[in-house]
Amino acid sequence: MALLEKFASAAAIRDKLGVGGQDPTQVVIDQIVSPTEGLVGGRHTILAGTNNYLGLTFDPACVAAGKRAIEEQGTGTTGSRMANGSFATHAALERDLADFFQLPYGMVFSTGYAANLGTLTALVKPGDTVLLDADCHASLYDGCQMSGANIFRFRHNDLASLEKRLQRLGDMAENCLVITEGMFSVLGDTAPLAKIVELKNRYGALLLVDEAHSLGVYGESGCGVAQAEGVLGEVDFVVGTFSKSLGAMGGFCVSPHPELDLIRYVSRPFIFTASSSPSIIASTHEALRQLRARPELRETLWRNANRLYEGLQTLGLHLGPEVSPVVAVRLNKKEDALSSWNRLLEAGVYTNLMIPPASPDGFSYLRCSVSAAHTPVQLEGIISAFAHL
Amino acid sequence: MNTRFDEIENKVKALLASYLESSGHPELEKHGEITGATNLASDFTLDSFQVMEFLMEMEESFDIMIDMNNLSNAHTVNELAKVVDSLLES
Repeated sequence: MALLEKFASAAAIRDKLGVGGQDPTQVVIDQIVSPTEGLVGGRHTILAGTNNYLGLTFDPACVAAGKRAIEEQGTGTTGSRMANGSFATHAALERDLADFFQLPYGMVFSTGYAANLGTLTALVKPGDTVLLDADCHASLYDGCQMSGANIFRFRHNDLASLEKRLQRLGDMAENCLVITEGMFSVLGDTAPLAKIVELKNRYGALLLVDEAHSLGVYGESGCGVAQAEGVLGEVDFVVGTFSKSLGAMGGFCVSPHPELDLIRYVSRPFIFTASSSPSIIASTHEALRQLRARPELRETLWRNANRLYEGLQTLGLHLGPEVSPVVAVRLNKKEDALSSWNRLLEAGVYTNLMIPPASPDGFSYLRCSVSAAHTPVQLEGIISAFAHL
Repeated sequence: MNTRFDEIENKVKALLASYLESSGHPELEKHGEITGATNLASDFTLDSFQVMEFLMEMEESFDIMIDMNNLSNAHTVNELAKVVDSLLES
């Protein structure tokens, strides 16, 4: 049974996480009451770690669209789009996503993770080069590694570090894909995309930006950080997810390059995965309409983000570098973070525990994600719970 | 007289010692003697993030770029020095 011995280290991690209370990786929400409240262990709990930025998971129009799709199209597609064909609704969502970003090409994947794997494994191959921000999400790393391309990292949000690598590549920079994110998921900081675009243009590289956490959050119409920085049209590939601001599940890629449509023929994570069920596509599509039609959702989200950041800052807590809907409280020791996370849960506040090596800088974090659906009372409840730690 | 490889390995040792001293990671255990056989993960409890951060220090110090694909068999100081050596040679 030597094959199974490797799980001893996983068991050790599990045992440590369970010390002093609930294992943060195994929380069960017995009942979802609203986008921002659930019952955990019989206790009403404010959900402050859901990435449900616009609070659309219970939006009546989204729920109705999902129900209607099940009734009209059934519960699932039972196969991949390549083999079983695409439902008209998949294609319609792709067209509307592209239209939303004002780009000509769009493609939908079954998850955000699959969007990154599917796009990257098709875009870069052995002999090509990727330069990726050191703090990029695991799905971007995994996609790069699956592709077989040469992988070099640059220091997080460090333009000099990126340029040095582009310089070193010389002529090979033209076979290079630069990868970064809009808003980074753990600390809520944003990439200097206007300057990164200037660099990639100067060296002839292409740029892929993951806007998973910034879709619906940044930009004049909610397209993300690239739009906020005025460079959306110059990003070569924008990837993202439906599982945060759009309240469902799935991923996408949009691009000005017609080659995006050819990715369908060569992307194994796209070809060999069942397509999203009709209800997911329908609720996502409706959420996209809501995002476009209701800019007040973004305004409420940012008002809430400002209040939470300000409230926790007033407590003297060490927070991420900029105000955003991700508000992360830094702690030095894993044990303190685990203990504080448990006390917050006991006080009725659910946050995300981020500890090394999953955190980006060796510290531990209690990560909150703010929602437009958080009420002022809930926000004060979160702040109060931190004050009593 | 030191060979070029010895010089590289000694520099990797010095960089590791410096990283361990100055990294600021609150939970990093202090180091003992660093040898060619020193394993970054098991001897110094560096987690995967810290190993990657140290590799970036190495890249800057040697003025090289280390392909992440080349690291699967580089766990010790000696193995890392071999990666650096081959990159400097090419």
